[in-house]
This record gives sequence, C-alpha cells and structure tokens, in this order.
Amino acid sequence: MSSSAAPADLPLTGGDCFLRAFDAEARAWHHASHCSQLVLRLGPGFDAAAFRTVLSEAVRANPIVRAPIVRPWGVAPPVYRLARAERCAPPRVLVHEAAAPPPATDGRPLPEVFFARLNEVMSLRRGELLRFDVVRWEDGRSDLAMTWAHMLCDGSGSERFVSWLERCHRGERRPDDLTPDEAFGAAETAGDGLPEATWRERGRLATLWQARMKALGEPPPRSLAGPRRRLRQRLRYTLDTLGPDETVRVVTRAREQAGFLTPVLFYLAAAIRAHDAVFRKRGLEAASYVVPLPVNLRPRGHAKGALFRSHVSILWFQVRPEQAQDLAGLVGALKEQRLASIKAGLVEHGAVAMDLARYAPKRFYAWMARQMLHGEAGSCFFAFTNDFLPDATSFFGAPIENGFHAPAVMPSPGSGAIMSLREGRLNFTHVYQEGVLADDERALLRERLLADLRGG
Amino acid sequence: MAEATARGMGEWTLGALVDLVFRILRDELLSVGPEFTPRSSLVESGLDSLAVTQLLLAIEERTGVWLDESLLTPENLASAETLAACVHEQLRRAG
Repeated sequence: MSSSAAPADLPLTGGDCFLRAFDAEARAWHHASHCSQLVLRLGPGFDAAAFRTVLSEAVRANPIVRAPIVRPWGVAPPVYRLARAERCAPPRVLVHEAAAPPPATDGRPLPEVFFARLNEVMSLRRGELLRFDVVRWEDGRSDLAMTWAHMLCDGSGSERFVSWLERCHRGERRPDDLTPDEAFGAAETAGDGLPEATWRERGRLATLWQARMKALGEPPPRSLAGPRRRLRQRLRYTLDTLGPDETVRVVTRAREQAGFLTPVLFYLAAAIRAHDAVFRKRGLEAASYVVPLPVNLRPRGHAKGALFRSHVSILWFQVRPEQAQDLAGLVGALKEQRLASIKAGLVEHGAVAMDLARYAPKRFYAWMARQMLHGEAGSCFFAFTNDFLPDATSFFGAPIENGFHAPAVMPSPGSGAIMSLREGRLNFTHVYQEGVLADDERALLRERLLADLRGG
Repeated sequence: MAEATARGMGEWTLGALVDLVFRILRDELLSVGPEFTPRSSLVESGLDSLAVTQLLLAIEERTGVWLDESLLTPENLASAETLAACVHEQLRRAG
C-alpha cells in the first residue's frame, strides 16, 4: 500500500509549522527558503539513470514530496494538498560535471552549487520541496546533495528517505510500498507526541512553554550576527572529519564528561564555548547565550519510522558567558537544565505550543520567538544527529565515502555547529552566513571546538 | 503517585517493579505493539535518552528512588526486567 492511499489533504505537524515560520521569515527578510541539505560523498559507480528511475517511481507513489502546501480557506491549519501533487513538477535532479578533485576524499572541495542551492527560494505553493544535485568528478567519484524545504522532513526522516531509496534500488523495497504510517506518521495525528488533553489544557501547557521562552529572554541573549535584520541569505559551510582513532577518543571523552545517555551535551557545550571564544575575541559582552536543541519525538508518538514531516520538539538551554569558561562545569550546567526541563514537561509543552501555532499566521512562531528573545532566535544553532545512515554502505552503485547534514541556519544567529558520526568518524559541519564571521574568527571557532572535542 | 502513596519503599517486590517499569514504557513512553514484553530490548524498542530520563522521573515519582547516572549502563537498560532489578536493588539498599 503506498502513501497515495492517504487522504487528499495531509496536515502539517506542529514541527512542520515551526519550520514553516522560519521559512516565511527567510522569504520575507532574506530572499531564500529555509532548507536543509543531506550530502553524500560517493566513490565511483553512481548510477544516475537508475537513481532517476527509482526517484520518479517513488515520487509517483508518494505525492507528499511534490504536494503544494496551502492553508485551506486562508485560515485553516496548513496542509499538504496531496490531491494536487500530480500537477506539480517532480523533484529536479541535476548532474554537474566537475574538474578532477585532489586524490584524498577529505581533501575534495565541497561543491559551490551545494551552497547556492541552500540559498534559493522554493515555491511551496507549487510543490517545490525537494531537489537533488550530483557533482561528478573526473575520477568517477560523485557528491550528491539532497536539498529540501525543511518542513518536508526532519534530519532523521531525510536519512530514512535516502536509505529507503537505496533499498528500492537493491530490490529490498518497492517505490510504492510505504504505508501512510511509515511515510509520514499516523495520518490522523497532526502533532505527534502530544499528550491527550482538552483544548483548555493544551492552552495551559502552551502558556507554560511561553513563560519558559520569556524567561530565556532575560537576561537578553545575543548571537554573533546580532538581532534579525534585512539581508540576503548567503550560507556556506565547511566540513571537518576526524579520523577513526581520534573519533573513538572524542566519543569516549563525550561519554565520560556527559554520561552514557547524554553525550550530546558534551558536543553542545563545545559548540557554545567555540562561539563564546569569538564573542571574547570581539570584546563583546553577551548577557546570556540561548541555544535550542532539537529532540526527536518518534519513539513517543505515532511516527516510529516516519520518513516525512517533522517529528521534533525543542529543548532550550540558557548559559551565562562565565559558565562557558569551564567545559566540565558547562556540561554539568547543561545536564541540570536538561533534567529540569524534562521534569517540567517542557518537551511536551513545546510540542503542544507548536501544534497550537498551526492555527496562527505562518510567521507567528518566528515572530514570537524573536519577540521573547529580543530579536534573536538563539545564540547559535546546534545539532548532533548520532550515526549517519548507519545501515547504508553504498548508494546506487557507489560506495558511500562520507555523509553529513548541512541544515540552513537563519542569517541571525548566522552560525551553527552540526555534528554526526559516519562509519566511526566524526563530522563537524560549520554552517554560517557570509559576513557574520571574519576568516580568523571562523578559524578560532573551529580551533576551539576541535580542541574541546579532543581535550588535552 | 498512586503506587508511591500505597506502598512504602520496602514494599516493592521485584515482580511489581517489573510490571511498573513495563507499563510506563508500554503505555507512556514508547510506541510499541503487543510484541513488546518485559524482556524486549529497550534500545530496539526505541528507547532514547529522553525516554530514559522520563522513565527515571516516573520511577522516582512512584517509588521514591532516583537512579544515579552511573547505574544507567547498557546492561541495566537492556530490558524492563533488568532495569526493574536495578531499581529493586536500590530500594533494598535504601530500605
């Protein structure tokens, strides 16, 4: 049964609407969409023709990937208009020929076209949600970027989608075999992971969350870009890949410092300290740093294996600059905040607030966050997504040499650290808005972050 | 809170704890089907760090015992049964 058996309209989740709010802000203020990108660095043998074939079959069976996003009657919560997807163009796959790269994989330059794609505008009303770019190097190796309007799927979903395409290619799955639940979580549930509650109770929980957001604004947080202002989005990113031995040491260190369950807080602390180093170099006094941490809701909702739509909530952390001076102390502070937030139910409250925001104007969520945080949306962006495509070693005939995420970061805060593990190697992607960081500041940020990861 | 008020810390049997942990996981934290049992692998059933923390908070609320982070080993988190045994041991020591 394919997901085409789904209803004509599929509601966006609260998480989708959260991302859609920032998409609307990016359009209005920065002439871009709010996209995310998954990059595969492939060895020789990528079969572009087979990829196009499988993708076109998958698109026919799963209309969500080119369904217009509309708000029925102009006021109802936004939906994917699945019934109109056939009128929309299928996702574009462009193959670019490039000059021969240096021999070492990690020395291969990141294709400029990938950065450009991250800064384009996608028409959600025309179902422009997904694009692919393949850069083919002269030695036969390729780089592939899947760029998507971020509300179409979260990071975890994007990996599931890519993995499923590969399994279709190998004949283990069929392009039309996704059930609606597998494709986008329970179709009847707009906000996955939400507690069962009356509207009044939901309102109360959202108000609690709002109070927490307001508290995050005092003292006022600061980002390196400063509060939002009108400028064109020009994102780029760099990639650092640690070797296997070094990664083992970093992962061990993360567990020692932050615990078996929450090594993510070690990476988060390192990211905060790296940004703090740039603040100090500039002589800037930030009253506080506020950083969001996306939380996957799949295990608790009805979207266990869902590919599409966002199934996330957010934990927020607030750090005073003096707390950033000591890595171990900062990790401890983040652990305390995490436990207190979970104990206070803020993950669920955030999910409820996001769900209620589906009924609000599309920029409401971003507007509210900026209001609470004095024009900022956080001091930096951070994500750690664990193992990247752990079950896949090849993609359409080519070995996967590396892979990572590069989500768009709003021009304010203008800088984000994204980390994941691929076959025992740690990838650190620094996504930044051009002009926000000078070259020496980017070098300092990278140097500080890697030094904290490595220790010693 | 019902169990906590109904039982003292020393009154939890291992069987009751297994049932408690199993029910919290099945009904509140994980999206699992009828194949989920007290011996099912928690990691394979979708247990992540957030769910573990929520589980610990629920266990503390109902038994009064907070499991120290050092006890959250892969062995203790293998299944509802192994985790319940760990809680039982802590209750026994506290009692």
